Amino acid sequence: MARAVRSGTRVDTALLVACCAMALLATVLPLNLREAIAGGLRRTVVAPLVSLQQQAERGRSAFLSREATTSRLDSISLRNMQLAKLESENERLRALLGLGRQLEWGFVSAEALRVTDIGEENTRTLTVGSRAGVEPKTPVVAPEGLVGMVLTVDPASSIAILWTHTDFAASAMSADRSAYGIVYPHLSESGRGEGTPPERYLLELRGVAFRSALKPGTPIVTSGLGGVYPAGIPIGSVLGELRTSEGWARTYLVRPAVRPPDVSNVIVLLPGKTKDQSLDRVWRSTVSADSAARRIAAAGDSIARRVAADSVRGAEAAAARRAADSVAKGVARPDTAVRAPARPATPRPGGRP
Amino acid sequence: MNWTRSARAVLAFALLVVLHYTVRPLLGWRTPVDFLVIAVLLSAVRVRPGAAALIGFCTGLVADSLMPSAFGAGALAMTAVGATASWLKAVFFADNVVLHGFFFFVGKWAFDIVYVTAERRMRGVELATQLLLWSPLSAALTAVAGVILLLMLRPVLEPQAA
Repeated sequence: MARAVRSGTRVDTALLVACCAMALLATVLPLNLREAIAGGLRRTVVAPLVSLQQQAERGRSAFLSREATTSRLDSISLRNMQLAKLESENERLRALLGLGRQLEWGFVSAEALRVTDIGEENTRTLTVGSRAGVEPKTPVVAPEGLVGMVLTVDPASSIAILWTHTDFAASAMSADRSAYGIVYPHLSESGRGEGTPPERYLLELRGVAFRSALKPGTPIVTSGLGGVYPAGIPIGSVLGELRTSEGWARTYLVRPAVRPPDVSNVIVLLPGKTKDQSLDRVWRSTVSADSAARRIAAAGDSIARRVAADSVRGAEAAAARRAADSVAKGVARPDTAVRAPARPATPRPGGRP
Repeated sequence: MNWTRSARAVLAFALLVVLHYTVRPLLGWRTPVDFLVIAVLLSAVRVRPGAAALIGFCTGLVADSLMPSAFGAGALAMTAVGATASWLKAVFFADNVVLHGFFFFVGKWAFDIVYVTAERRMRGVELATQLLLWSPLSAALTAVAGVILLLMLRPVLEPQAA
């Protein structure tokens, strides 16, 4: 019994000494040998554990970066939302530029600020006033067409009514001048029939002679009668006829060219421009002017310039690389790198001696 | 020790090794819990000192394979801790939770002392900070985790006799 215990103790001691010796030996092994043993272990016995550790570390880094990723996503989403708004504003401003180019003179551009008070949704505060030459009853237009009219003027600002205002009225005609009438805001909140929603932001063309029938889609423009709005400003297009009790005249429902929510930048036509002027040609060519303005803007676009500069830089770098390559090849091939011996000069027939 | 108990002990050991390579990197603490030391200590008290030294050596070598610069240091430390724990089991491994905790604490601290000394990487203030601040903190956390795991694994490690 005692012998067995002693033998066991001896084996234990031998194992301990052997393990310690091997561990100590491992600490003093050359680095490449240590790396070889460790690599062998990592590839075989420890491989599942290494995989587990990597997954755990990846999980931890994913958890840590979650908040940063979320905030980055939020900021990108926010920027994306603003981008759509900026794109639409940019488009409107380009259109406004095109309109300004067609008008040539007699106008000022302004920002139309929305008044948030209740009951003031049909007016806009313009950022130009009498100092810029704006007077009451001067027309306010947008690239799409008629917006409204200036009501009151201060030195640096003015208040304009939109066509949705109850006081708005404009003498109008069909674009082919076959029918004349007066345009008013359509104030009915009820739909045209069952199942159709209440109609907001529509106009009525009243007092059209009974003989003048207008088809849906007919463009309606200002007629120039009345002296407030010059002729030729688009108002909208005919949606259909409204049934009224009047038997001697027709009333048409008109879809306006300008939507009030879109009114942000406008042009105020100054008095000199509105007197005896027809703006027919202005809006007829606005579409083409708009596309031209887009081309001009695109040419001046900083992004486009940058892309062009990058491509030029890339081409230069490629050319430099090609040149370097050819020089290197030239060095490698002495027969091409060495310049050919100069030919003996031969006198030209008509040359100087 | 019968086969069932051996199998349970091996299972518990494997579980602790897996915990070492999953929970530890997941927590990423400055003072990590050393599940390998817990595994070696729990195994060492169930086997003879020679076997405990061998278990410690193999476990340390596995741990060292992920850090070739300190190759052998972990094996040496684990061998020493395993063998010592096996020799001292009669003294320390009474059925007392506080003593178990103390056992894990001392085991982990001793492991760190041997490891850092054999590694020969740290010197001066860094060595002192490691051995007198971070190692005791890590040992304390290991002790807490060890006690919790021991209580959880008790039915597996020491099954009731039928």
